[in-house]
Amino acid sequence: MLEIRGVRKSYGAKRALDDVSLSVRPGEYLSLLGPSGSGKSTLLRIIAGFERADAGEIYLDGKPLTAKPVHERGVGFVSQGFALFPHLTVFDNVAFGLRFRQRNPVGAPAEVKRRVDEMLELVGLGELGGRQIAQLSGGQKQRVALARTLVVDPHICLLDEPLGALDANLRRRMTIELRRIHQRLGIIFIHVTGNEIEALAMGERVVVLDQGRVLQTDAPDTVYNRPASLQVARFLNRYNTFDQRDLDGAAAADGVSCIRRDLIEVREAGYRAAAPETLTTATFVTAEYSGSIIVYFFSLPSGKVVEVEYHLSHKRPAELREGSAYALVWRTDQAMVFGSPKIAA
Amino acid sequence: MENQPALRGALGLYTVIFITFLYAPFIVLAILSFQSGPEGGPQFPIIHWSIYWYKHLFGLTPPSRVAPLPIGDALIRSLILAFATMVTSTLLGTLTAQAFRRRFTGSGLVFYLVVLGMMVPGVLVGLGVALVSTYLGVDRSWWGTTFLVHVVYTFPFAFLVMLAVLNRFDRSVEEAAWALGVPPARTFRKITFPLIFPGVLSAMLFAFTLSYDEFPRTLFAAGGDLTLPLAIYGTFSVEIHPNIFAFGVLTTLFSFAILAVYGLLMAMSVRRARRVAIQEEIA
Repeated sequence: MLEIRGVRKSYGAKRALDDVSLSVRPGEYLSLLGPSGSGKSTLLRIIAGFERADAGEIYLDGKPLTAKPVHERGVGFVSQGFALFPHLTVFDNVAFGLRFRQRNPVGAPAEVKRRVDEMLELVGLGELGGRQIAQLSGGQKQRVALARTLVVDPHICLLDEPLGALDANLRRRMTIELRRIHQRLGIIFIHVTGNEIEALAMGERVVVLDQGRVLQTDAPDTVYNRPASLQVARFLNRYNTFDQRDLDGAAAADGVSCIRRDLIEVREAGYRAAAPETLTTATFVTAEYSGSIIVYFFSLPSGKVVEVEYHLSHKRPAELREGSAYALVWRTDQAMVFGSPKIAA
Repeated sequence: MENQPALRGALGLYTVIFITFLYAPFIVLAILSFQSGPEGGPQFPIIHWSIYWYKHLFGLTPPSRVAPLPIGDALIRSLILAFATMVTSTLLGTLTAQAFRRRFTGSGLVFYLVVLGMMVPGVLVGLGVALVSTYLGVDRSWWGTTFLVHVVYTFPFAFLVMLAVLNRFDRSVEEAAWALGVPPARTFRKITFPLIFPGVLSAMLFAFTLSYDEFPRTLFAAGGDLTLPLAIYGTFSVEIHPNIFAFGVLTTLFSFAILAVYGLLMAMSVRRARRVAIQEEIA
């Protein structure tokens, strides 16, 4: 169990973390989602001990962690660039922690070999122990970094944008691998990412961070369907936001209306909204087809762009004329209204 | 620029002239070192080619009016001194550069003080050390005052080399080692040092060569036992014979040998790094 209480951190005048509190359950896979500069990496580096918090405490299984130096924390860290030791072989990279750690080093070569081989096997690099780091692909480096961290049995494994340096295909494979490895080991994983899909896919819970503050901590489907604030909704990249002046009639209350892209219907202009519906009139601009999904772009009189997403597995593509006006309609109860219109750009 | 033949020609000519100026004096000395002896002097024409003066250096010629060069002890001293200076300065330079990775209070000021120290004229430094040691009643010696002066002189060079090396060093590699439970001192030994070793070699080379032929500071700081540059200078005041040229050729060959060893070590430790770089370019 990892407990983060009231952590603050500033770099000069810039506030990186502002009173962050979190509690991570034993064995949980937690996603930490935020845009760049949100403080997500800073939080990870503070947990690892690379940076010192200005205020606040971190407890691991009830024991305070903050005063301990990095090498006494038992917190594994996989950095974005992998940070492998370039002068050592794959085997020696993974064996490094076992051999040279301060607490409980493993001296017997046979024991080192057994544990390193076991871990290389777990990450799927069984035969590559003798390779030099330079001879590895990006995905293999990633696995070595993971094996190196996990072989010393950390209490927590921190992953700083672990998939950021991989190409799209590899990224999908690694997410599956990561989840499998997490299940095998049963320790806390904290996965920092700026990619909302990755965060939702990986985490048992997702923490959304922006400008050093926690905006929401919830299960992925809750974050996705019920974002706690306008910022979270914006950051998910799946919501259209409307000021009241963008909407026809006085359908909604004050504030900003958020509606998910795939919950909007496109109707011919002149469509009259039924009672529980909200409606706005917009001009069709263009469409973007990507296999199972088609995204239609509309523009409002205010210049704002609205995206409507049709999932082609259960909807037929709409025949729309560029430059023509259409009615965009959604069920009022499926929209969320946040009461801070000044944030709406 | 590649397709301007005139400019290319001019630059080529310039390079040739530059190289000529760099090596011509040494080549002249090398040629004259094969002058016949003991009657041949340090000037052209060559009376006839011989290796007399090389034999003379090692005392293999019958006694003549030309005394053997009094530089045997000085050579040993200079080598020991250069070696000790190299080890000390590189160690201090590496540690200081390591300290500068964290911007400690006053680090800017300390940096400028260290670097400005390089600008002080050497003769004055030597003179100053001589005055202070006389004042303090410390005897001047090649292993004491001179060693001190050499370390002070070469330390900033080693420091700057190591600072450049550590500036490019990827900190996350060290962090990775700490996070594995490896304490910082051991991390430095097992990870940082092997990775910055090419830089350490460069710093060592700088310190060694600077110390080995240091003259102005040593002139006043050395006391009675001379270092090699002082001993050579001493022979000039009597009469110059080609034996000094022969010695020059040998010591230069020795330097080349050291450089070759350095190059070999460097190539070995850089090859791996280069492979990484190439690999990443492809990926």
